[in-house]
Amino acid sequence: MAPTPPTDAELDIMIRARLAAVGIDLGQLPPGTADDPETGAPGQAAVLSSLRSFVRSSLAEISAWVPPAPSVEVSQQAAPMLYPSISTAWRES
Amino acid sequence: MTGPQDVHVDRRSFLARMAVLGAGAAVAGAVGLPQVAFAGPVGPVATRSGSSPHPDAYTEPRPEALADLTELTIAEAAWLIREGRLRPEALVEAHLDRIAAFDGTYQAFNLVLTAEAAAAARALRRGRYHGPLHGIPLAIKDNYYTAGVPTTANSYVFADFVPPFDATAVARLTAAGGIVLGKTQMGPLATTRATTPDGVVTTVNAWTPSNPTTNPGGSSTGTATAVAGRLATSGIGTQTGGSITAPSNAQNLTGLKPTMGRASLYGIVPLTYSRDHPGPLARDAKDAAIMLQAMAGEDVNDPRTQGLPPVPNLVSAATPVYRGSGSRVRLRWKTRIGVIPGFLSGTSPTAAARRAFLDTLAGIEGCSVVDVTLPDEWDVLTGRFNDVRLPERAEPFVPYLRQDLKLFGVSLTSWLQGALMGADEYVTGQRAKLVLLERVLDDLFSQCDVVVQTSPVPFDIIGLPELALPIGFSGGIPIGTILGGRPYAEDRLLSVAAAYQALTDWHWQRPPDPAAAGWARSLASARLRLTAAEAAEQSE
Repeated sequence: MAPTPPTDAELDIMIRARLAAVGIDLGQLPPGTADDPETGAPGQAAVLSSLRSFVRSSLAEISAWVPPAPSVEVSQQAAPMLYPSISTAWRES
Repeated sequence: MTGPQDVHVDRRSFLARMAVLGAGAAVAGAVGLPQVAFAGPVGPVATRSGSSPHPDAYTEPRPEALADLTELTIAEAAWLIREGRLRPEALVEAHLDRIAAFDGTYQAFNLVLTAEAAAAARALRRGRYHGPLHGIPLAIKDNYYTAGVPTTANSYVFADFVPPFDATAVARLTAAGGIVLGKTQMGPLATTRATTPDGVVTTVNAWTPSNPTTNPGGSSTGTATAVAGRLATSGIGTQTGGSITAPSNAQNLTGLKPTMGRASLYGIVPLTYSRDHPGPLARDAKDAAIMLQAMAGEDVNDPRTQGLPPVPNLVSAATPVYRGSGSRVRLRWKTRIGVIPGFLSGTSPTAAARRAFLDTLAGIEGCSVVDVTLPDEWDVLTGRFNDVRLPERAEPFVPYLRQDLKLFGVSLTSWLQGALMGADEYVTGQRAKLVLLERVLDDLFSQCDVVVQTSPVPFDIIGLPELALPIGFSGGIPIGTILGGRPYAEDRLLSVAAAYQALTDWHWQRPPDPAAAGWARSLASARLRLTAAEAAEQSE
């Protein structure tokens, strides 16, 4: 059974905690949704809203994708590559 | 050279090289270490000094270019300088005068090196002749390191940064005789159209200087406006998600984003290290080739450039070929142009310009236009998976994210998105890249040699070369399109563009001079400011 999707409040806690775990403090940003008038940086509420959307859409969709392969062979397919155009060259055969 | 480089490179897989693929995924061709096996002849390769002979790099100037030095292409200026009919000082001075007159309106530059450029031009009088870039005034995007000259990337993070050395690309261009006129405006950290770090729009489209709402393209906005507005003969930018092709299309230029590794990224402020590409924004295909010829090649400081096929003679590739001794243009190499679904959809001026573009190509001897199908899962592999780039921008900047989030100004959100993505999603994204590349090579390029693009992003993801070129106008604003090629197919892309430009004159069109009342535009632009949400939406 699929887990219950996280609520906004749960995601906010996760996002703040994940960033805080690597030393990034969203509390540096102004509260609310308005951009900081001096630097243009987003307000905390606005950035949290954007990050919640990112987690729900991007991370979920990317995580759901698997390379095309029969079941257990998936780990032998499409090795992760940073620079495929360099690492894979081409000649018409 | 007997053919374009893309047909001489053996296909092989990194997976095979690393011996991790099963027998079911055997690859054709040699598995070489460490470089790609190269099975073709090697043409002249540009040396570091740019001194190798490129007879095709010189073009007798048009009358209108003789009347206004800022109208000269690189090839035309090179012809005059080599003949001793133009001094680099005069060429530099003409551009500095134009900057003084109009950059208050354009805001293409954030730093103009007036005295340094004039001194560099004078110094060239004393030394040897360097080749076609000798004395050519260049606009350099402000994310390229320039020794002793502030390099800000239009970001608070780099506000006071003065690099101790030149980026490899800058060093090679100046070693080839190029003169740095100044550093150009850009989207903060190469994310959007050019703005200040807090989002206030700076640079305008040179074709609508009084209207800052016309998109000038980003993030290499300042370079594009400088070249289009004739403040510099040519220039360089970087591309992660369209930052060379978009401003080139928006401002009637020919931009070339090379294959990943073709030109060094050493000394360039990173945005996404697996997708950043340095390249020229130029007046035409010939100029783009001259620029990339000088920039490209192996660099001891950038492993991404090592072990690749040699740089072919791009300048010759960008020289139109004529049947016999006549005036009938033919393609240098027989080429199938692939047309993806949707490219010709609709009745817009862009669709009409695209049809006319393809019709022109189809009429060139050696060129065929074919409909192609897109690989499986194209939308997801080139859409949502575009977000996999984000951790690469966050990771090198974590110390600054810890220090003060406001240092990222209007651009902050995408850095935080990158910091949130899990390692497993990131790894999945790297797998998806290879799947996408294999499908592009196996499925798409089995149907064609060059493919039109409706977005630069897919080929940015997998590091394949793209060339942007002008194909028309709508309401006085340029229309451009993008061609994509196989790995290391810069020569073929240039050959197609050169043939098209031999038959059309879009690339010769120039915007009228702006009104001198720069203050009016400044007032207008002061009211145009990107919000953080807009910057996140538009971020490369």
